[in-house]
Amino acid sequence: MTLSRLATFALAFAALASAALPGPAHAAAASSAGATASASATDTLQVPRIAYRQRKLANGLTVLSVESHGSPTVSVQVWYHVGGADDPEGKSGFAHLFEHIMFKGSKHMKSEQFDRLTEDVGGENNASTTEDVTAYQAVVPSNHLETLLWAEAERLANLRVDEANFHSERAVVQEEYRQRILASPYGLFFETVSTRPYLRHPYRRGVIGSIENLDAASVTDVVAFHDTYYRPDNATLIVTGDFEPRQLDAWVDKYFGPIARPQAPMPPRQTAEPAWTADRTITVKAPNVPLPAVATVWLAPPVTDADAPALQVAAALLSAGESSRLNQALVYRQQIATQASFSTDLRAGPGLLIASAIAAGGKSPAAVRSALLAEVKRLASRPASRAELDKVKTLLLTAAFSTRQTPLGLAAAIGDAAVLGGNPERVNTDLDDLRRVSAADVQRVLRRYVTGAHSVALDYLAEGSTQ
Amino acid sequence: MKLAALLTLLVAATASAQTFDTPPPPAAPRPLTIAAPVEQVLANGLRVIVAPRDGVPLVTAMLVVLSGSELDPPQLSGLASMTAGLLTQGTRRRTGPEIAAAAEALGGTLDSGAGWGQSLVSITVTTPRLGAALGLVAEVAREPTFAPAELDRLRKQTLDALKVSYADPGTMASLTAARLAYGSGAWGHPASGTPASLPRIRQADLVALHRATFRPDRAVLILAGDIGAERGVALANAHFGSWAPAAGVAAPLPPAPPTLAPGGPTVAIVDMPAAGQAGVVLALPLPPRQGAERAAADVLDAVLGGGYSSRLSQEVRIKRGLSYAVYSRIEPRGKSGLFQAALQTKNESTAEVVSLLQAEIDRIMQAPVAADELASRKLSLIGGFSRTVETTAGLASAIRSLVTTERSPAELKTRIATIEAVGPADVQRYAAAHFGAAGRRLAIAGVADRFAGALRAEAPGLVVVAQPQLDLERAEGLRRE
Repeated sequence: MTLSRLATFALAFAALASAALPGPAHAAAASSAGATASASATDTLQVPRIAYRQRKLANGLTVLSVESHGSPTVSVQVWYHVGGADDPEGKSGFAHLFEHIMFKGSKHMKSEQFDRLTEDVGGENNASTTEDVTAYQAVVPSNHLETLLWAEAERLANLRVDEANFHSERAVVQEEYRQRILASPYGLFFETVSTRPYLRHPYRRGVIGSIENLDAASVTDVVAFHDTYYRPDNATLIVTGDFEPRQLDAWVDKYFGPIARPQAPMPPRQTAEPAWTADRTITVKAPNVPLPAVATVWLAPPVTDADAPALQVAAALLSAGESSRLNQALVYRQQIATQASFSTDLRAGPGLLIASAIAAGGKSPAAVRSALLAEVKRLASRPASRAELDKVKTLLLTAAFSTRQTPLGLAAAIGDAAVLGGNPERVNTDLDDLRRVSAADVQRVLRRYVTGAHSVALDYLAEGSTQ
Repeated sequence: MKLAALLTLLVAATASAQTFDTPPPPAAPRPLTIAAPVEQVLANGLRVIVAPRDGVPLVTAMLVVLSGSELDPPQLSGLASMTAGLLTQGTRRRTGPEIAAAAEALGGTLDSGAGWGQSLVSITVTTPRLGAALGLVAEVAREPTFAPAELDRLRKQTLDALKVSYADPGTMASLTAARLAYGSGAWGHPASGTPASLPRIRQADLVALHRATFRPDRAVLILAGDIGAERGVALANAHFGSWAPAAGVAAPLPPAPPTLAPGGPTVAIVDMPAAGQAGVVLALPLPPRQGAERAAADVLDAVLGGGYSSRLSQEVRIKRGLSYAVYSRIEPRGKSGLFQAALQTKNESTAEVVSLLQAEIDRIMQAPVAADELASRKLSLIGGFSRTVETTAGLASAIRSLVTTERSPAELKTRIATIEAVGPADVQRYAAAHFGAAGRRLAIAGVADRFAGALRAEAPGLVVVAQPQLDLERAEGLRRE
């Protein structure tokens, strides 16, 4: 689950979006993982290699950059290898709360001054926290690049927060919890799906935490968390867009170079998740469930595993686009579900494969699950055609093109590869790997991780429901 | 606050390393230049607008028909939306699944839908696939079959989707606010239909609306991205050149522009006892806007609720922690627009945030915006626009916004200068003229017990409707206590 400092306009105006006017967000709903095609029809759709520059400062900071001059803007992003899985015990939600606090002032910046340096000059900023990483993502007119580099270095080196700012921002995050989890009709469902199946891994705690766990956090925790994780050797700076490479290097050296690398090693993350040795079921009843929802969840290998690309292609065959198998079978032909999906929630550690659906009116959760699993099994037992494989690879490729049109999207793709994937070159090789996936690969990984593995079945029902 | 500042804690062990204590100033700006799109009208009256953008081999193709939900007849809310939605669900040549598979094999998703003043079909594909994609756009726009089985299927799906929307307090408040503002007129109903209206829609209604409104002389084809004007027009001619209006059918006249509903309640609460938050929307109908006045309204909107640092966000989120997100926007209704400020908050905070919203609107009417605040909000607005046109889909949408509000696509090029020219007096004058208390309408969806009492003191005429009883099909649905 990804949480952001700022709601997107779409979230704030979900109501208006439901007025049936399609927006660009609907185009290619597939994951941004990106792909190119196999030998036939998709040969003309090679995504050009991203020629990034890589530097490593003496203090351990990794710097990645791509120059492009399509518009006079530049994206400056700092990704830290810390996330919800690193929350202090009993303080779930802390890494995400901390991300918000990073905007509340430093030794030489007032609270919200970061917004003065971005939004007020025609740029924008946001930040997001997942289980594994925290990313700070700004876009500014390119003549403000030096200022932004100064500001990112400043809050890495000199974060300060006072009690009043801490408490007001914690209240904001608690409202974010209420908006996402309590007010949104399926918020609690998706939060439960991505956390409760874990037996022991810290992923079990989720990213947003709870009102009580957030109440338990203090300014002292902020100090300790910053000391522990916000250090140059745990950070990756990414700059894309309209800049001069030599000028960039000089500014990076000037502002980030003097930040010392702490002596203490990074604390290890508790990462063990025992093998799932039996099927389990979880039933959640909530006050605001317009239609029942079901999910079946399996453990996935880490995002860096060689099987990850085949799982992503399997997910695309099942649920990318209106012509996908789950949509055609459950929503169109059987009319048993209002929506159905199969997603690969791949993480640094063990991730999740999630088949889920929201029932159509009057349909039972058991019937919906049965239809959902039947389609997954069908793909595991019979190979997809060449044309169908080509289709999903073209969809994934076009989505990658779309994402990489802007400095923001390009830098985010590099950040994902470098920080979550552990190697920036993955921004190029991941697409090659997807192109090579065969129908047999798809069947093999589904048999290994899905049909041949234990699962957790989750039912999400209205309170008082007897189903 | 001062005491708290004394308690400030030094966080990083590495603090002393950073010795640069003021931000370096920006360098000289490098201005963004946006080319004016090229426009040509085909012999059948279809306007073709091509907006080239280099860099990535992608093109967004968007066919916009210049009418939409404002033509929904009384009792048939959602007709334009269902008509547009069904375009992709079957043509004389292909079934719905075949159309989806063909589009997705090209790498894009064929979207169709309707809103205020517009119905559209769009797709984004890589350049070599543009011709095939335009073939699909033309096929679904010109030859849809509206098969009864498909109508039934989409109707069921839409009814289920409404169940989900109606469980969301933000959505409920927004739909209710539009009804409060516009009453029973053509512009106040839910564009996506209601549980009462959708079952009334028949195949003949869809066919008749399509025949009357999908015609080349009331449509615009937008091509944005990796495409030149000459090739764009040639492709348009190849796929749309033979398109003609249905014989013997006149294009329907647009309804009168929306105006504030006379009489009726000004504040409504939709009681949702299970809601985890309250959704709050303050709406204000704005009259038709043009030229400098439109820019003044946009800047006013940016000062009040555009972006994180707007006044509403400062007061509600930053100072008081009362909401995760508070935004405003002006949703076009033809040349008119509905201003809406929206947020969600815990039920108990509802009356407090309502006071804050009202006070901020009062303030912008009473005092000019300070020069530095105005400058930063204008830059923020300009920056948002500049980033929108960085993608092919965003560029196409920006042109769509112009043509559906009867503006020239050439305004793409002058948009930044028009915003830059807005001064504090322009904003205050617009606010004073159009943001008075008489035009404000307030809709709140949430657990009424927890805030109705406090609100009643401020708004004695408020109505409370239990969500299951709310009928958005009629303005009268909001008139019972």
